[in-house]
Amino acid sequence: MEIINQAVAANQQALSEYQAKLVLAGYGICVTREKLAADRDAAVAAAREIGFPVVVKGSGANLMHKTESGVVFVNIADEQGIADAFETIAGRLGGNFKEVLIQEMVSGKRELVLGLHREPQFGPCVMLGLGGVLTELINDTAFRIAPFNETEAKDMAADLRSSEIFKAFRGEAAADMDKLAQSLCALGHIGMEQENIAEIDINPMIITPDGGLKAVDALVVLKGGSH
Amino acid sequence: MIDSIRDSALYKIANPESIAIFGASNKYTAMGTGILSSIMQMGFEGRIYPVHPKEAVVQGHKAYSSVLDLPETPDLAIIVLPTLVVPEVVDECGQKGIGHAIVVSGGFSEVGDDGATLEKRLKDAAARHKIRFLGPNCIGVVNTHLKFNATFLPCEHPPGFIGMASQSGSFITQMFDYLGRYSLGFSTGFSVGNEASIDIVDCMEYLAHCPDTRVIGLYIESIRRGRKFIDTARRIMPQKPIVAYYVGGTEAGGRAGLSHTGALAGEDRIYDGVLKQSGVIRAHSIEELFDICWCLGTCPLPKGNRVVVQTHSGGPGAVAADACSRNGLELPAIEDGTKQKLAEYIPHTGTMNNPVDLTFTNRNLDYFVDLPKILLQDKNVDALLVYMMMPRGMILRVAESMGVAKEEAREAAVKFIKDQSTQMADAMRNSDKPWIGYSYYSMESDFIASLYKAGAPVMPGPNRAARALGAMGQYVEMRNKIISLN
Repeated sequence: MEIINQAVAANQQALSEYQAKLVLAGYGICVTREKLAADRDAAVAAAREIGFPVVVKGSGANLMHKTESGVVFVNIADEQGIADAFETIAGRLGGNFKEVLIQEMVSGKRELVLGLHREPQFGPCVMLGLGGVLTELINDTAFRIAPFNETEAKDMAADLRSSEIFKAFRGEAAADMDKLAQSLCALGHIGMEQENIAEIDINPMIITPDGGLKAVDALVVLKGGSH
Repeated sequence: MIDSIRDSALYKIANPESIAIFGASNKYTAMGTGILSSIMQMGFEGRIYPVHPKEAVVQGHKAYSSVLDLPETPDLAIIVLPTLVVPEVVDECGQKGIGHAIVVSGGFSEVGDDGATLEKRLKDAAARHKIRFLGPNCIGVVNTHLKFNATFLPCEHPPGFIGMASQSGSFITQMFDYLGRYSLGFSTGFSVGNEASIDIVDCMEYLAHCPDTRVIGLYIESIRRGRKFIDTARRIMPQKPIVAYYVGGTEAGGRAGLSHTGALAGEDRIYDGVLKQSGVIRAHSIEELFDICWCLGTCPLPKGNRVVVQTHSGGPGAVAADACSRNGLELPAIEDGTKQKLAEYIPHTGTMNNPVDLTFTNRNLDYFVDLPKILLQDKNVDALLVYMMMPRGMILRVAESMGVAKEEAREAAVKFIKDQSTQMADAMRNSDKPWIGYSYYSMESDFIASLYKAGAPVMPGPNRAARALGAMGQYVEMRNKIISLN
């Protein structure tokens, strides 16, 4: 894939979130609608196009932990909010600032984490877990070695202690399990086909109120990036 | 995947007609001597050639000072020598034309860099002569059906149906006594050691084709050929169940990279996924591993997860019901037709709910043979758990109270227990639905001991019985999944 080749050639440790989403979307994984904007006016225009409310994030290949760097602003409802977020992000990143990512605001009470890493004895290994800020604390995860098919992917979902999360929940529809299985298989395919990708995190993958799935944040670490 | 057991690198290792043994002497403290003693003690009928630099006769067998002097090329070399000389001896075995070896000697890659260098030399020597070998740093092999026990502990259990490959030699040799207690046994057991030439995947392929093996057991600390393991297991498991006890790292973060995924990927969770997608049942203790092997090797497979519990004691019945619910098993209500058939057997103090509780009954044969048959005819029932208890003391007391003389009562009790257990074991064996016993009594009870001898699965306690039955259900589910994908 061209994006990956370019990033490797540029010695990037990881893809930017925007690039990562393009890779995931290329494999059929459903991602947020989003646009890059290098100045305030472009940011406002992008937000109008996507539709308020939006998320404004600092963007760059070296920004692997954006929340910790204080460059993520969610639920921005108007143009003034975009302008303020833009200034704050530019200020915090200083000389490293390049552009912001304007992204649709996805609602949904249920958050998953999907991931890929490489196991020395087994090869590409796909993870599904309970996502969100408590991911590590709850540590409810299931793994499968790629390649595997959708039946196996659904088995993986059933392995979670909190597999009830996929059923209808507080007014939200049951999760689209076919879509989830396809996303897990797609991560496996990426692992099989893209040797330059070392690790992937999709955290969170939100289950939307209608049961759909959307990758809200994504990290793609490149080979050599994780040492 | 091999097509026939004879294509396996392990065939001559587990079925040799003649062996050369290095490191056996007349000194009874040497490990090699112990292995030769075990081989002789079990009654191996093949030809044995000790190779020893000084001794003319070793344990009654003519010894040779060099393998090159042997009157024939043996099928197998068993090497129990100091580490440093092993590569050279393997080279000599190759010159003699020997194609297979067991390298028991340790001190190779398991002890660090110097050992790893020696292991490389060993592998090179073997490769030069196309020798395939088990080990190094292993405890050997046992094939009970050939009366071939090339391990240093005596194997006294009868020939069995559990084919085992273990990354710890102890879970072969030190299980002889454990399995024997239940009249179980290994068909063939492999201690794989450092897996320099033959690994656990090779063992699985051999055991898949081994006619004496009904179920494959694995003790795993680390799988070397990961992808091959998954593919091979998936091919084997529809015909022969595989049960694995994995012990490795439980810590998360073993794969820590830049992602959360790397941080969350603990070995235990990954192996859990690997075993599931391989269709391998995961046991969580060595006892559980053998419980599951026992039930899979002796019972028909359940068609579903609905269990009826039969008891004549309230507590043990309630505990079994509870254990079932924690092992993915359901306790359905029994059909009205079944209740009508049961009515004549069950006293007014009993209950025909599930668990079916007879309370006190003086009709023992009904309890152990007739009632289970009626319950298993029920269309709501896929499997049966029966609580088992028949202390000899109780039977003696009954007989004596009926005025039978003491000596006569003792003989009658023995006969009664034998008849009951035999009939019950026959009924269990001929059932088309799984029927598992559980008891708090052990071999000390002659009723239980006699059931073991007749090949009936009687688990120590209801939790182990429910877990084993639950695992059989898991096997059926995984098998259906894997067959549907092939």
